[in-house]
Amino acid sequence: MRVDAKVVMLGKESVGKTSLVERYVHHRFLVGPYQNTIGAAFVAKPIQVGEKVVTLGIWDTAGSERYEAMSRIYYRGARAALVCYDLSDSSSFQRARFWVKELQNCEEHCKIYLCGTKSDLIDGDRSLRQIDYHDAQDFAEEIGAQHFETSSKTGKNVDELFQKVAEVYNSTAFQYMTAEETGVDLGQKKDSYFYTCCHNN
Amino acid sequence: MDGEAPRARASWENGSLAPVDRLRTERADSPTPGLVEGTEPGAGQKSAMFVHAQSFEDLNAEVEKDARRDDEVDRSEGEHAEEELKVLVREENIEEPPNSPLESRSKEEDVSSEAWRSHRKHVFVLSEAGKPIYTRYGTEEALSSTVGVMIALVSFVEAEKNIIRSIHADGYKVVFLSKSPLVLVGVYRTCQSDKELLRELQYIYYQIVSLLTLTQLNHIFQHKQNYDLRRLLAGSEYLTDNLLLRLDRDPGLLLSAVTCLPLATSARDVVSSSLQAAKATNLVFSILLAGDQLVTLIRKKDQFLHHIDLHLVFNLVGSSSSFREGEGWTPICLPKFNTAGFFHAHISYLEPASQLCLILVSTDREDFFNMSDCKKRFLERLSKRSAYQALKEALKSPSYSVAQVGIPELRHFLYKSKSSGLYTSPEFPVMYQSDEEQERLMGLYQDLHSCLHHPTRPLSYFYRCGETENLLAWVTSGFELYLCFSPLGTKALAVSAVTKLLKWIRKEEDRLFILTPLTY
Ligand SMILES: Nc1nc2c(ncn2[C@@H]2O[C@H](COP(=O)(O)OP(=O)(O)OP(=O)(O)O)[C@@H](O)[C@H]2O)c(=O)[nH]1
Ligand SMILES: [Mg+2]
Repeated sequence: MRVDAKVVMLGKESVGKTSLVERYVHHRFLVGPYQNTIGAAFVAKPIQVGEKVVTLGIWDTAGSERYEAMSRIYYRGARAALVCYDLSDSSSFQRARFWVKELQNCEEHCKIYLCGTKSDLIDGDRSLRQIDYHDAQDFAEEIGAQHFETSSKTGKNVDELFQKVAEVYNSTAFQYMTAEETGVDLGQKKDSYFYTCCHNN
Repeated sequence: MDGEAPRARASWENGSLAPVDRLRTERADSPTPGLVEGTEPGAGQKSAMFVHAQSFEDLNAEVEKDARRDDEVDRSEGEHAEEELKVLVREENIEEPPNSPLESRSKEEDVSSEAWRSHRKHVFVLSEAGKPIYTRYGTEEALSSTVGVMIALVSFVEAEKNIIRSIHADGYKVVFLSKSPLVLVGVYRTCQSDKELLRELQYIYYQIVSLLTLTQLNHIFQHKQNYDLRRLLAGSEYLTDNLLLRLDRDPGLLLSAVTCLPLATSARDVVSSSLQAAKATNLVFSILLAGDQLVTLIRKKDQFLHHIDLHLVFNLVGSSSSFREGEGWTPICLPKFNTAGFFHAHISYLEPASQLCLILVSTDREDFFNMSDCKKRFLERLSKRSAYQALKEALKSPSYSVAQVGIPELRHFLYKSKSSGLYTSPEFPVMYQSDEEQERLMGLYQDLHSCLHHPTRPLSYFYRCGETENLLAWVTSGFELYLCFSPLGTKALAVSAVTKLLKWIRKEEDRLFILTPLTY
């Protein structure tokens, strides 16, 4: 499948990255014992943006520190990074800060989406919240990121999040086109695998 | 399209790992136990798939040779690992995260309880500095004093330039395997020999190395002796847990062999050649699995996979649903191939709910899209032919009944062709359906295996009458055979059964084994 935009999921282990992708791609939430991702999983998903179809190539990475050294190959050339933290686990927010720093240093063209997960837990019991909404919002503004709170269990904000990613990609891709207007063919640009962008990077 | 030319005969004695040349002239329809390696039923016709080794002995010899060999490993593959390491260690020095409590284990158990003590096989992994890294039961934290004693024992003995191997006491065996920078300890209530138990610890060691590489392990502990390795292994404990279960249940791990999905040669050949055609520069192994059975394996010319590495791959794929999500891409070290570096494996199922899992092993970490493309080409070729349908049909009967052999008293058997490293075995009959009964039968086979491969008094033949079954084990230069009969059978009957069984396997070998392994 042809991929337009590389999207990478980052965040501490068990914050719910895989669940987000499952919810968005397969419209389901798997209960049962938690299964860590091993290495990373790739899935391509076409998404309608206005008149156009944009195909997101989503890299769901493993949160385990074991794969940290590998992470660069997963986020390199990414157009969007969904940096996830668990709303009920403050240490996961520390980890999110680490990833933001990493992206700012290495991938300046990558748009960051800060994503607080498992909001259904907080809705069930407010005392579980460990990351204040406004603190996260302030941080997002400071780094120029979009901020979402999602639940893969209920589906809250999940489609909205990925829709936003595709829209932003689409509009910036368009900006790129018009900026370097010297005869670049839109269709041609779309044909480029992000694989090749990795290599040119 | 062809496998490679026969290679020169290499002897085990000089420690070469190259496969032996086969004596292919006689493939008798009625093979006798006296046949030569390479002519036994199931022996490959062209070349082997695996790094060939008398495996079991090889494994144990290694305990003795110890780290020496590891040092000889070719370093060039290790470059990536080096690079990754730098990142890892740098991070480690600057940023000691606020003690993030490690994932609490679901199997929390009071380590002072009777229940904890009564487990049949305990396995502990420790660092040389005495930090607990893994325990099969309970949590590592609760074990610091036990671990302290273990380490004290190990270092006390080592100070005298000796190696502690095992302690036997009170119905228990404590077995030690020192594999710097790790120490593995098994505490068992079983009659398996020390040698067998050591082999099990070796597997656990390789499991850990396959996640991290030995280079990385060494590097970490050189920089920080009391590093808590659980940080890096977090989320992988279930792989080790599962491997331990397999060691009790999977005949493949006992026999140092792999079993194949029964499949008509015509279908297997098409599957194999389709996979062979889907090649790429950095692709080293293409492996198609159906559950725990091998459908086909294609390898780069001159590169052999070791069955232990393949079992680690089976364990990785079989233990995790993670690869069902999309296309997996993960670093993996195949320790019997090279302990220093990572390969990169593309792991995905052919269809969402399918049992068929394709593993493409590349040397290049940037190869994901090339591998993805190989898979696509393989699928295109496969679905153009009827072979895919035949393959799916074969999945419906992944096993066969022992009744097909036509020996009334025979209940079950394990047969390994030594030269191909493949084994076959029928499904468990009704009386061995439960987990306990299966483990009991496997236990009996393990005992026989221990006797045959006794370090000082190896046997080639062993018959044992029991109350619930009679057993016969037979090892020749060509095969290894374990038979389970009803207790009513006689020894004469058991012996005559061997000939009959060999004949049957010869007749079925096309379907039960991979006789013509391919290379790219
Ligand atoms: N209640 C609730 N639980 C969730 C939600 N999302 C994930 N979980 C649970 O959190 C656990 C971890 O989810 P995963 O999606 O596997 O986490 P991950 O970030 O992919 O973890 P790694 O692959 O190890 O990095 C699982 O038990 C999920 O069921 C959510 O929105 N609500
Ligand atoms: Mg995951």
